[in-house]
Amino acid sequence: MSRHISRQTITRWAPLMVLMVLVGFFTVINPDFFSLRNFARIAIASAPALMVAVGVTFIIVMGSIDLSMEGAVSLNAVVFAFAFLHFGGTLNSWGWLALPIVLAFGAGFGLVNGLVHVKLRIPSFMASLAMGFIGTGAAILVTGGNIVKVDDDLFRGLLTYRYLGFPLMVYMAGGFLLLAAFIQSYTRLGRNFYAIGGGEELAHASGVNVQRVRVAGFALAGMFYAVAAVLVVARIGQAESVSGANFMFISITSAVVGGVALWGGVGGVWNALVGVLIVGVINNGMVVIGLPDFIQSGMLGVLVIIAVVLSTDRRAVAFVK
Amino acid sequence: MNFQRLKPHFPWITLMILTSCVGVYDPNFLRPANLLSLAGDIVPLFIMALGLTFAIFIGGIDLSAQSMANMITVVASVYLASLGVGVAVLCILVGALLGTVSGYVTTRLKVPSFITTLAVGGVCLSAAQWLSGNRAVNMDATQRDAVFGWMIGRTGIVPNELFIAAGLLAICLFVERRTVLGRALKAIGAGELAAAASGVRVARYKIAAFAISGGLAAVAGLLFAVKLSGGAPSIANGFLLPAIVAVLVGGTPLTGGVGGVLNTAIGTLIVAVIRASMLYYGIAATQQQMVFGVVLILAIALSIDRSKLRTVK
Amino acid sequence: MYELKSVDKKFPGVHALKSVDFHVNRGEIVGLVGENGAGKSTLMKVIYGAYQPDAGTIMIGGKAVRFAGPRQAMEQGIGMVFQEQSLIANLTIMENIFLGYEAQFQRWGVINWIAMAAAARKQLAKVKLDIDPATITSRLSFAQRQLVELAKVLALEERIDGDLVILLDEPTSVLSKDEVTLLFKLVRELTSRASFIFVSHRMDEVLDLSDRIYVMKDGAVVDVVTREAARIGTIQQKMVGRSVDKQYYREQRQKPFDPGRVLVEFDKVSLPGRVRDISLRLHAGEVLCLVGTEGAGRESILRAMFGMLTPVAGTVTIKGKSGVGLNQPRAVARGVGYVPRERKVEGIVAGMTVYENMTLSQMGRYSSGGVLRVGQERALARDWIARLSIKAHSEFADCGNLSGGNQQKVVLAKWRSGGSDIMLLDHPTRGLDIGAKEDVYEMIRDMSDDGVGVVLVADTLEEAIGLSHTIIAVKDGQIRKQFDSTPGHKPSLVELLQYMI
Repeated sequence: MSRHISRQTITRWAPLMVLMVLVGFFTVINPDFFSLRNFARIAIASAPALMVAVGVTFIIVMGSIDLSMEGAVSLNAVVFAFAFLHFGGTLNSWGWLALPIVLAFGAGFGLVNGLVHVKLRIPSFMASLAMGFIGTGAAILVTGGNIVKVDDDLFRGLLTYRYLGFPLMVYMAGGFLLLAAFIQSYTRLGRNFYAIGGGEELAHASGVNVQRVRVAGFALAGMFYAVAAVLVVARIGQAESVSGANFMFISITSAVVGGVALWGGVGGVWNALVGVLIVGVINNGMVVIGLPDFIQSGMLGVLVIIAVVLSTDRRAVAFVK
Repeated sequence: MNFQRLKPHFPWITLMILTSCVGVYDPNFLRPANLLSLAGDIVPLFIMALGLTFAIFIGGIDLSAQSMANMITVVASVYLASLGVGVAVLCILVGALLGTVSGYVTTRLKVPSFITTLAVGGVCLSAAQWLSGNRAVNMDATQRDAVFGWMIGRTGIVPNELFIAAGLLAICLFVERRTVLGRALKAIGAGELAAAASGVRVARYKIAAFAISGGLAAVAGLLFAVKLSGGAPSIANGFLLPAIVAVLVGGTPLTGGVGGVLNTAIGTLIVAVIRASMLYYGIAATQQQMVFGVVLILAIALSIDRSKLRTVK
Repeated sequence: MYELKSVDKKFPGVHALKSVDFHVNRGEIVGLVGENGAGKSTLMKVIYGAYQPDAGTIMIGGKAVRFAGPRQAMEQGIGMVFQEQSLIANLTIMENIFLGYEAQFQRWGVINWIAMAAAARKQLAKVKLDIDPATITSRLSFAQRQLVELAKVLALEERIDGDLVILLDEPTSVLSKDEVTLLFKLVRELTSRASFIFVSHRMDEVLDLSDRIYVMKDGAVVDVVTREAARIGTIQQKMVGRSVDKQYYREQRQKPFDPGRVLVEFDKVSLPGRVRDISLRLHAGEVLCLVGTEGAGRESILRAMFGMLTPVAGTVTIKGKSGVGLNQPRAVARGVGYVPRERKVEGIVAGMTVYENMTLSQMGRYSSGGVLRVGQERALARDWIARLSIKAHSEFADCGNLSGGNQQKVVLAKWRSGGSDIMLLDHPTRGLDIGAKEDVYEMIRDMSDDGVGVVLVADTLEEAIGLSHTIIAVKDGQIRKQFDSTPGHKPSLVELLQYMI
């Protein structure tokens, strides 16, 4: 291949470069930005979003979309809180059982989501949107609209106990990120997501059970939403029917900003990581440099557009919808 | 009765079935005054869905509609005193302008409309927060009544909003079916490549679709502001998703090209009936959201025309 | 070893394969030639399992077999290296090679990349491609992808007991001379492991590589020659040697064009890709035909005339005005009409009615102040439905439901009714039955009579010769020769083929 840097390479590394430029930009304006304390803050805020973004990345890579995360995260948070309290309310006794329970529940919810999409042949946009309503609705139903508090010191240790400056929840998110990377690159399932996203009919003709992979993808995403829910509860100490608010748009935007193509087949969990960090850095940076509250949403929007423009290989896109 | 021929009529049929389900359970539901009142309440949602129809018809999406409406409630409240009835013109212009920006970024800069409109929505939120100082802004009640009172009044038993809705529907239907713009949008949604190969200026029309969506979102916002006699940056929250649902359930798929504003009208009524039905069936407040989701899945499973979808993504 | 006996295949309106007998011996390279529409691709699809024959038998090693689909054919050792790549671009090379057969490299769902890479390397070694199997496929050149496809098919070797039969579908059309030489060397070496069926338009290559050559015409095998006995001239004759009915192409209607009125002029135009240094002129009333093999550049030239491709060098002039900044809307405004090859995707909008499709390029003329005069549109449609005998129940018919021939008529009506006087026709009769084809020829003559300039990329050479005033032979992106093709002085097929290949 040619010596000079190809267009493909530039667009591949663009998101990371954007991230570095942003970090540099904010540091120049306010050197306090570049501190361990602040990075930890960004990490804490980004950890749940990262899990959701990773989950939805699998689905976007397949060429579908998932809008159920708000309801899913809320419901998972509530289920976790209830299970935790039911099993003693502290990690000291059987409370830790709540974790595998919520992971299984989250995967189950995602499984249903996938089945509704695949078996009833409803486009994923609609199916997941409706499932999102059901999730939020179930959370309201179960909590009666009330907040469920989770007070256990040991559990909150995920937030309070720090190692090398970063709280445990960040490492937990990191661990699941590595798991996702493993699934993406080293398992048949993960590679099937890419095969379907890059050439569904070809994959089907080669014997891939497209339906089964689709459903599995939604279940897997559901499991990651459950992890996000646990992190949310750890961070604010409570679970409610709006625990999942805002995750939908942030996660998909992060994925796209990081380089995951909405039409499928391109990008992966590392892109999701970079995208989540970009959004996290922007959000945090705007506060650190003292940008007035009201400008922040608009500024985020503008910066997101710029980031996507920079990282899309526009010549590869015939027409964009 | 040929099943195939019935297919495009599914949304109507679904609406009839749902209405009768509720009517059978509680005949009070079917009283004309009640039905009209129900329809009147849903008008702002309908207007937003009307705008969204144009964006979805060409195969895109407009996620800024809600934030746009929010911003406009603030704009309307703030400038009513100084501009009087002219504030309506201002609102619509702002909406159309921002829609044009969304369209431009999507078509020329090739950013997916999902992201673009979300970002523009963020800009709208910022504008709303700045303009309102991040708190609720009130309209002067007498002035509001003088200039816009007719909007929220009644003529006989018919809420005036319904006339507004009917008027807008008629205009949009005319545009969709009888104008060059509408025909071009349909061609772009149903066969963009063929439209381009026939010399249609695709980019221009796509931008127009987003401009219309923005303009109508602004009208929805204006109506909202008049109804509530004020505005705030988050007052119209919770409208976006039901509006999208209204469009999709009515029979305009996300890929566009088929369906249209009449379908959206039916879809909006379906959403309204489902919401109302929960009250009549005495479903507890805590259960409503969930029931809504389940009924939605059923309605969609029954009414979408799957023959147009080769692979369901 | 592999044999087809009296295989027959029919489609609505077309008898694609007429009782074809075909066999391949072990280690043999068999060539398959024929014009477009001769039945080559149908035969190939039957061989690799995409189509099932309506009659006749397929025999492998003397036993009759039946394939429900390509996968079953693969399991019996028949693989196809596709012309339009059948690799999933965003996956790595090794994943493409073993697509569908990854099970051997995985345990508990986890892939052993090291093992897969080693196995992939073994396959790649067979085709002498020395590249990291973990490379993403989209990064490869066309030639490399071709080799990976070949490796993918060769991987069948390890899976099945019998002999391999490999189909090569126009493998050389996008390769350079050196790459072709390498490919052929490779294929010859591989005959120790497999037999090959080689399909190509390029006569010299087929003669170079094949042991035996099957010549097809109109769905039947008209000749089988061995390499020693093969002569290009005779083969070409057999390929196209139908007594060309002059009436068929309405040659009697061909009138001379006016050399004074130039509609389109290309002056040393080069386009993105291979097309270089094109100079030509289209006159009013002239039918100008571009002939050449797939990928020679004919379609690019057409698309440049319609503003879909921007020249990187040279000038385009349309009706005396410069073509700088030409795009589709502007081309249409200047009177250019484009009838694309992919009629279902670029020609008509399925889901819209006949009248809506017909006015799509000229909505300005049927509207006042932006409001469409639907009554007039419908009248226009009714008029042209009658004129061109379009078989639709009314102007309200959904174009997506019309037959190919009728869809094509709608597309032609769209431009003709708008008064376009420069018509670009890309394979206009492809997929049409005889009756519809004759209608199209009639329309082309009508257009010439009206002073319209037509640029045609024809389906077959006969069509090109029969219809045109002028023929331009294009090869590898450049013009090789221009022929005068007036009635009485028409060039022969042989003459044309010489310059095409």
